[in-house]
Amino acid sequence: MELLSGLSFGAPWILAALLVLPAIWWLLRVTPPLPRRVVFPPLRLLLGLTGEEETPAQTPWWLLLLRLVAAGLVIVALADPLLGKPPPIPGTGPMVLFIDNGWTAAANWDAREAVIADVLRSAMQQNRAVAIVPTADVPDVSLMDAGKAARIAQALTPEPWLPDRSRAAKAIAGAKFKVRPEIIWLSDGIEDGMAHATASTLASAGALKIYADAVGKGPLALLPPASSPRGFDVALLRANAEGERNGDVAALGSHDEVLASAHFRFATGANRATAHIVLPLEVRNETARIVIVGMDAAGAVQLLGGSGAHRSVGIVSARGNENEQPLLSDLYYLERALAPYADVREGTISDLLARNVSVLVLADIGRIAGADYDRIAKFVAGGGLLVRFAGERMTAGTDDLIPVKLRVGGRYLGGALAWAEPQKLAPFSDASPFAGLTVPGDVSVTRQVLAEPSVELADRTWARLADGTPLVTARAQGKGWIVLFHITAGPSWSSLPLSGLYVDMMRRLMALSSGSRPSDMKSAQTLPPVLTLDGFGRARKPPAEVFPIRAADIGRTVPSRAHPPGLYGVAGTEDALNAVGAKDALLAFGDLSRPILQYAQTTVIALAPFLLALAIALLFADAVISLWMRGYLARLRLARAAAVVLALSLAFPGRDARADDAFDLKAATDTRLAYVITGLSDVDDMSKAGLVGLGNQLKQRTSYEPQEPMGVDITKDDLSFFPLLYWPMDPREKDLTPEALSKISDYMRNGGTILFDTRDLTLGATQGPSSPGQQTLRRLLAKLDLPPLEPVPSDHVLTKAFYILQDFPGRWDGGKVWVEALPPADPNAGPTPARGGDGVSPVIIGGNDWAAAWAVRVDGSPIADVVPGGERQRELAYRFGVNLVMYAFTGNYKADQIHVPALLQRLGK
Amino acid sequence: MSRSGNLQYEAEALGASLPPLLVDAERLASAVSLGVHGRRKAGMGESFWQFRRYRQEDSSTVIDWRQSAKSQHLFVREREWEAAQSVWFWCDTSAGMRFASGPVTKSERAKLIALALASLLVRGGERVALYGDAHAPASSRAALRRIGHTLLALAPDERALPPDAAITKNAQFVWLSDFLSPLSDIEITLRRLSRSAVAGVLVHIIDPAEEDFPFTGRTRFEDALAQQSEIVGRAETIAGAYRARFKAHSEALGALARRLGWSTISHRTDRSPQTALTALYADMSGA
Repeated sequence: MELLSGLSFGAPWILAALLVLPAIWWLLRVTPPLPRRVVFPPLRLLLGLTGEEETPAQTPWWLLLLRLVAAGLVIVALADPLLGKPPPIPGTGPMVLFIDNGWTAAANWDAREAVIADVLRSAMQQNRAVAIVPTADVPDVSLMDAGKAARIAQALTPEPWLPDRSRAAKAIAGAKFKVRPEIIWLSDGIEDGMAHATASTLASAGALKIYADAVGKGPLALLPPASSPRGFDVALLRANAEGERNGDVAALGSHDEVLASAHFRFATGANRATAHIVLPLEVRNETARIVIVGMDAAGAVQLLGGSGAHRSVGIVSARGNENEQPLLSDLYYLERALAPYADVREGTISDLLARNVSVLVLADIGRIAGADYDRIAKFVAGGGLLVRFAGERMTAGTDDLIPVKLRVGGRYLGGALAWAEPQKLAPFSDASPFAGLTVPGDVSVTRQVLAEPSVELADRTWARLADGTPLVTARAQGKGWIVLFHITAGPSWSSLPLSGLYVDMMRRLMALSSGSRPSDMKSAQTLPPVLTLDGFGRARKPPAEVFPIRAADIGRTVPSRAHPPGLYGVAGTEDALNAVGAKDALLAFGDLSRPILQYAQTTVIALAPFLLALAIALLFADAVISLWMRGYLARLRLARAAAVVLALSLAFPGRDARADDAFDLKAATDTRLAYVITGLSDVDDMSKAGLVGLGNQLKQRTSYEPQEPMGVDITKDDLSFFPLLYWPMDPREKDLTPEALSKISDYMRNGGTILFDTRDLTLGATQGPSSPGQQTLRRLLAKLDLPPLEPVPSDHVLTKAFYILQDFPGRWDGGKVWVEALPPADPNAGPTPARGGDGVSPVIIGGNDWAAAWAVRVDGSPIADVVPGGERQRELAYRFGVNLVMYAFTGNYKADQIHVPALLQRLGK
Repeated sequence: MSRSGNLQYEAEALGASLPPLLVDAERLASAVSLGVHGRRKAGMGESFWQFRRYRQEDSSTVIDWRQSAKSQHLFVREREWEAAQSVWFWCDTSAGMRFASGPVTKSERAKLIALALASLLVRGGERVALYGDAHAPASSRAALRRIGHTLLALAPDERALPPDAAITKNAQFVWLSDFLSPLSDIEITLRRLSRSAVAGVLVHIIDPAEEDFPFTGRTRFEDALAQQSEIVGRAETIAGAYRARFKAHSEALGALARRLGWSTISHRTDRSPQTALTALYADMSGA
């Protein structure tokens, strides 16, 4: 009864709606659940059986009750039931809420909200005007009714700076009230030197009531941390020294993950505590902020500036299958060297630049193709750092995004036929950013690319070998830098990547990003806000009212509305402005000579949310029960599985929805042969007919049964579905757009194979080298980053993937076929049946017009005659096609024939 | 369009859809006939039986001259007595046969089995015909194709039982149906057929849902034409009784058939049709 006596309703007239409950009961009772329809031919056999159990045409009483209770709960909740009574506010004049809303109030903001809600409720009941005066904001002493005040109170949040009480108190003293107001000061309990004066001013303006935090609930402040050899030393302050107080501080990473935490304890009588967060150096660089756990206030957060230099680095490698043999891969060493000091990402050039990396590392990308070139040039001009590594591809030619001109070919040191010994590194010169790093004696270089001698070469050289040849060169371009290592990123050309020096060099290079020269890192004049904190210490985007800070002033700036605590500067090198400075102190109120009330827990409990939650739970239970009664639950399991499959399939490539999703679906559901649509109907028809013919042969001869081949628009369609593309060359074909070029290089880098067919037998000795087909090939692909090529050697996997072949006739016979050059055979391994590189050659180039030889009509008869002729030539053309497809599918699998003798021996043959 | 043109168009449309059915049926048949091989039973073929001395009443054309030349006497080559039987098929086409709880309707399966059996029989030299069709029994690929076309073109109607139609004496009758008509109706039809001295096989096509009754919850059962319906509150409660009743119905059907000298083969559409066909073929060839 005690409980019920405290119950009141905010909108009691809504309770009248309870009268409709009997109507709801009647409606629910007469409507049985809808049966599921099933067609069932042997219905006749069923007819008599239903008599055995009467169909429950009515909803069971307990389900009915459940629904009625839910409906009743909703009605009662809408009537806004309240438990408890707010304390009465004496007097009849307006009420003035004088609220300290600096960060010092944030930790215990709930208590203030409860008091505000109580005051407003009384004001509404007694119909008194209210003024809300926040001390950290611009004070506005205007009276309003309780409803409007409630809306304003709801929008009121603590600010991340300290309040200015005297300004607010002056505003109240200056306001004219007709009746003497009740002033309620919701203080934060912190002395700012003006507390007594404020209390006096307020008391003279009206009847004053002061609230402050209970002992042990007041705000804590986190002082700026000091770095120690083992981590961070942090100090905490509290205003009130009574009693013990415990808690934790934590170091958080950039995604708010907890890196480490430590315990602190305020002893009785002490208002200062310390804690030691233990963190290894690598992890310490990841720390973005230090916070007091469980205290949501801007003063409980210390942001760390970006002087720890955390940059996002994108790595691109020329080869797609880097992950297969990590210890041979350039990426592995780069990633290891960069990971401690940077956020490393891999991907294609366009992806990475779109994600705003500040450093782009290209490992052995010989020639940057098409649109990627423009993007990188723009990136460097805008202040990006481009780091390139040499390699096999770079020896074959490069573009002009390098610091110095390179000689074609490389330099071998210490090989069997070379005079020179492997070279050591020379000490770094003072002008180099690497200056001061120690050069270990065991680092040696066996191969490098050489720079053309020039006037500026010496200026641009940052590291040299002992004989003076440049090892690292660099050049400023626009606001950014281009740095070239004349060796590979992996250990194949030198042992530098295996040494600690490599890591240190990478670290020095990272400081070059964001366009700052080594000497003038601090030259930025004003620091724009990057991120600011709100009063609760949560990071948010800087509001529009925030101004940049002069770089020289950031140490002296006091947080305010124009400069809230946060990070200022350029992403990567921000400076932090914190709510609490190293010299700040927290003091409790001095003697105000007035009673101080404590914030109690809220006195009035609104029951509506609980009732609504209960009603929703009941309705959900009702839905489940209804489904169960209609026998759907067994089906639900199926539906759930279907939903998961659907979600997966939708999530799959994550590309924007396009009209030709049908294309993707078609391409993805079967492995298909594909040809490039040239836009010339005769060529395309022949390509298609050719692949159909080849597909028929594959069906007959192999376990691969290709579906109908697909034409691919190289500029528009997604190539990643096709392991093999047939691309006929014709002089009428249009030039490729830069985007298409980038797409083709991505396709080849990710393991796709393209068969280029010049269709005119020109790559052999039979005709001159400048036939139309070959010119087209050159015109289209000159800007592409192609690997070194060689004519198919006699032991190449392509000659043995399915049939044993030595030449590859198509419609013509005799032309040469070129593939990516294999690594030289291991002389110690003895004769091997077949050699394949790692993976599949990304290009196969020939001129025998294979599609014409493969092409068949609908009835299966060949379309084109082969020259010089004979069914044997056509048969060989098919065999080449079968080998080609098998090669593209299985890669170097056939090269494993080398293990056959061992396997046979193991089998006991 | 002229009438003949229209007919040709329809024939082509039919022909376009027939091969898959025929091919399926042929594939099924060949799988079964492989199983029958090697049984070393006297078949229907033109197999040699014996030589006997020429008698006066024999026609001179039956004299085997090669054998006769080896001795003084004239010999006649006698072949095994072959009396090609005619087998009549009848597929139930009532609406209920179009029901399927899985991928295959009962009607499709019935037609497939009928055509496969017909194919097997034609290979064995028997003559086949569709009951209710105007054509006499024949033993040729053409007849088989015609039967295929007719089966495909069979319009669904309400006749769950074979009508009264002409039939050759001493024929075999293959009746494919779900036999959901009242037993008394089935018995009348069976007796009428037996009076024409016809014996045969009842192929009972059963959809798994009809036998297992997997339904649960509040369910409204409708017959195939949605003319009749029955609401069951909790379908799982009557499942046991229904299954018992269905089983009793099947057994009663079998007993009825046995009494009249017919045999019964049950086939569920979720099982392989090959099993049914093997059993059926073994039954027909008297093994």
